[in-house]
Amino acid sequence: MIPHIRRSPAGPGNVPRRAVLLAAAALIGLPAAAADPIRRDPDTGAATWEVQAQGVTLSITQLLPDQVLAFYVNRGFASDAAAVFAGACVFMTVLRNQAAPGEIDFRLTDWEIRQDGETRRLPALEDWLKQWEQRGVSAPARLAFRWAQLPPEQRYAPGEWNQGMLATGLPPGSRFDLIARWQTAGQTQTGRIDDVRCNE
Amino acid sequence: MSVATSDAVRRSRLGLVLLLGLPLLGSGGAVTAADLPALSHRFTTLPEPVTAPPLRLEDLDGRRHDLTELRGRPVIVNFWATWCPPCRREMPSLERLYQQWRERGLAVLAVDVGEDLETVFAFTGQLDPPPIFPLLLDPEGATLEAWGVKGLPTSFLIDAQGRVVGRAIGGTEFDQPAILEHLAPYLSGAGTPNVQDDAH
Repeated sequence: MIPHIRRSPAGPGNVPRRAVLLAAAALIGLPAAAADPIRRDPDTGAATWEVQAQGVTLSITQLLPDQVLAFYVNRGFASDAAAVFAGACVFMTVLRNQAAPGEIDFRLTDWEIRQDGETRRLPALEDWLKQWEQRGVSAPARLAFRWAQLPPEQRYAPGEWNQGMLATGLPPGSRFDLIARWQTAGQTQTGRIDDVRCNE
Repeated sequence: MSVATSDAVRRSRLGLVLLLGLPLLGSGGAVTAADLPALSHRFTTLPEPVTAPPLRLEDLDGRRHDLTELRGRPVIVNFWATWCPPCRREMPSLERLYQQWRERGLAVLAVDVGEDLETVFAFTGQLDPPPIFPLLLDPEGATLEAWGVKGLPTSFLIDAQGRVVGRAIGGTEFDQPAILEHLAPYLSGAGTPNVQDDAH
């Protein structure tokens, strides 16, 4: 196994002022938040939301159910199985360590969606994979599914990033808030995107 | 073509762009390269080199490649898939890097995850320049765990002693000056090769 990058210890005399400000923001519990889409496709209306927090950028773009359906049918899913996932409010998600003060470490089990006053976890990748096996989805198609998702956990050094699908499990047309969390330098950081809409 | 059909075609095309990251041709430029996530321009140095995990796979011509047989040369091992948008976008720059530095000993092994020969072969025909480095097939994703790959694309730099010394998680523009400077010390011969600012 290739080891992860460790953050270099910073001496008290050379801590950048920006890092001090970020640490202060973290201590008083200020999550970065965004609400309005930064971009909307003129043809489809698919919206992209983005939040930047402590040198990390998270963006999510609506995927239409028929786009998701086509992708997985082309990867070997039967249309009924693909339709289950296509109807689960799927976003193309990009998480990037732009300039965090070291490596970031995230686990999707720490992320939440909030809807109508209730908090829920994102559907787990393992649960999807079990479902596909029970439905008889072929091994190559399940492999494609697994690697097309945003990884369930990963570490990114500054400059590193990844892209993948993220399903909320909500019905098309739902509205929700997404709370993303990651660790950096021993601190939990939070980025929140409010009032996200699932495409229909 | 009816309006409804036209809309459906546009939605479908957008889906291909989002899912495959392909340029959208003939759409009036609704989705541009500026809308796609930026490729990274750096390699991350591992804190301590570690012996590279085994890698023995066949290429598209059925020839077996073993990473250990490349001892004495720096190697970039790239894990990818044809349906992975950043994988597709970074591949031409990897080929340009290879063509620029193969005479100084650089080797590249690109490991396709979970796909068959026909799929990979059809994809490479769309690339400009088409890759001339070996494209290896790992149809069951059997190598990923040993290499610690969590998401695609992920690339590793192996030094002449067969040790992993660097990595790039997420789509990367391999022929950018910062990456060329990172790789240069691992190549045979002295000095830094010509770095072309417009090589992308």
